[in-house]
Amino acid sequence: MTWRYRFTLFFFLIIFALIIMRLFYWQVVRAQELSVIGQEQYDEQVVSQAQRGEIKTSDGFSIAADKLAYLVYANPKVVTNLQSESDTLGKLLDIKSATISALLSEDKFWVSLKPSVDNSVEQKIAAKKLPGVGFQEETVRFYPEASMAANLLGFVGKDENGNDKGYFGLEGYYDRQLSGKNGYAVEIHDAAGHPILAKMNDSTVKVDGRDLILNVDRRVQFILDEELKAGITKYGAKSGMAAVMDPKTGGILAMSSFPTFDPATYQNYDESLYANPFITSTYEPGSTFKPLVMASAMDAGLITPNTQCTICSGPVQIGGYAIHTWDDNYFPNTTMTDVIVHSDNTGMVFVGEKLGLDRMLDYFEKFGVGDTTGIDLQGEEAPEIHPKDQWYPIDLATATFGQGITVTPIELLDAIGAIANNGKRMQPEVVSAVQTSDGQTIPIPPKEIDQPISATTAQVMTQIMVDAVNNGESKFYRLKGYDIAGKTGTAQIPVSGHYDPSKTIASFVGFAPANDPKFVMLVILNEPSASIYGAETAAPIFFSVAKDLLMYYGIPPSE
Amino acid sequence: MKKPILLIAFLSLVVVSLTLARITLVNTISTTGVALVNIQNQIEDLKHQNEILKEEYLSEAAYTTIDNKATKLGYAPVQTQIDLSTPPPLALQ
Repeated sequence: MTWRYRFTLFFFLIIFALIIMRLFYWQVVRAQELSVIGQEQYDEQVVSQAQRGEIKTSDGFSIAADKLAYLVYANPKVVTNLQSESDTLGKLLDIKSATISALLSEDKFWVSLKPSVDNSVEQKIAAKKLPGVGFQEETVRFYPEASMAANLLGFVGKDENGNDKGYFGLEGYYDRQLSGKNGYAVEIHDAAGHPILAKMNDSTVKVDGRDLILNVDRRVQFILDEELKAGITKYGAKSGMAAVMDPKTGGILAMSSFPTFDPATYQNYDESLYANPFITSTYEPGSTFKPLVMASAMDAGLITPNTQCTICSGPVQIGGYAIHTWDDNYFPNTTMTDVIVHSDNTGMVFVGEKLGLDRMLDYFEKFGVGDTTGIDLQGEEAPEIHPKDQWYPIDLATATFGQGITVTPIELLDAIGAIANNGKRMQPEVVSAVQTSDGQTIPIPPKEIDQPISATTAQVMTQIMVDAVNNGESKFYRLKGYDIAGKTGTAQIPVSGHYDPSKTIASFVGFAPANDPKFVMLVILNEPSASIYGAETAAPIFFSVAKDLLMYYGIPPSE
Repeated sequence: MKKPILLIAFLSLVVVSLTLARITLVNTISTTGVALVNIQNQIEDLKHQNEILKEEYLSEAAYTTIDNKATKLGYAPVQTQIDLSTPPPLALQ
């Protein structure tokens, strides 16, 4: 009996050993490989795409949002009637039939026909039930107002990994806030492929992008766009730009430039149009700069509105150069008010001499000249001012009337805004609040940067600028009954070391109503051909927009 | 030695009850996958509809669209402003 007992024991031991070895092989040696195969059978990683935040104007209207679109593709191997299918798709997709035909003739299983196709077109194609044609859902950025405020908005393109990324303007500056974070979950399926509810595993929860609520008023933006576009055409300018700001908060109410682009189809436009010229382009501001220098000298207590100019009876000689007035008319013993009213360059040289270089540079710094304003848009630039030791007397003289010194339009608008706001300079802000995906609103409060001049000086300067509008070169375009403070500007453009008298940058800067400003606005036309003067080109556009804005805000005439 | 009849009966009952509970639960859960797919499809469908309606609304409410339609209908911008602060003409007083 013993040998039977031993044989059975030995037999079972062998069997168990074999089983253990086999189990070791599957469980240890090939464990990782099998685990992956198993996971592939029942696991599926589901990506929950975060929705990009919307950009809304102050009335809550989305001027940038995501929309549903489709990538139309085809399997050429399944196409039965090449010619007929190419004709139908060509017509519906607005692509040449020959192009579609070439794609469908390729020896491939998948060809892309057109991305970002609208839902209506997708439905029309689907209704045709064309063999081999399919659709892949995608989201694309949608701009309901088309190119309105395009330079302000920027656009959404792709990064190096093919993910959405904002470029330029708000889309670029607030890209991280707008993007949100994708969520990832592992969904476990049963044998039939159905997800098992009890086994849903949320590894990371998606966070939708935040919405931006702008200070931009859609109505103001529309008015500015329309008037500027019409003005550029009317005065034959190469390009133009304008912006409207609330001087009390620094809130940008509208910003416009032409030519521009459509952010939805940005690829079809020249890259030079993408940057916002109002914050990136530098120019010599000309006479629109005079109020800043005049206000500085008054704030320093060196002059008053009634101070008389003792050097204004003719051209002023400085360092071998003769400084003339713009029309070669001279007003001996003219007052400082009239220096601004007549836009008198010799009078400004007088102011510059009183002010001196050191004080002038100090005031420039306080007004933000030569520095970025900190506006919440991507790509702001600031031209540098020469170091103090590189200033010659002629530089000081020409800087007083805005030549030989460069600024960006936003710098000038913000500095003039300080005069409108009792001497307080605010940081320009496009976004007024950020809204999280759970509905929480985070306001962005107005920020005071500096107080370059006193409230009294600002009020006196305002009155001088009102006189400039009522009695200066632009008086024919002024709005009767309203007190509007403003200043024209006609700056020559430096070309190869000298100024070209036929090419100018015409501009007008001002604010209204003068006693309690609701807006400050700067209009710039580049090389207008109908007239080279700001008073005859930029000023009419300014007053046309101002009239619409005063009506829109319901501000009655004061006289 | 006396057999623990009560204990065996109780344990048998527990085993049978647990088996029945498991069968019931598995039967119930087995259909939730299908229900889940249906709900997911419904959510996707409603999301699509919502997206399409939002797009239509934004397109129609855009100032550029309204302006184009108004121009086609013959509306023109107001060129003059009415000043209520000035007294009305004598004939109206």
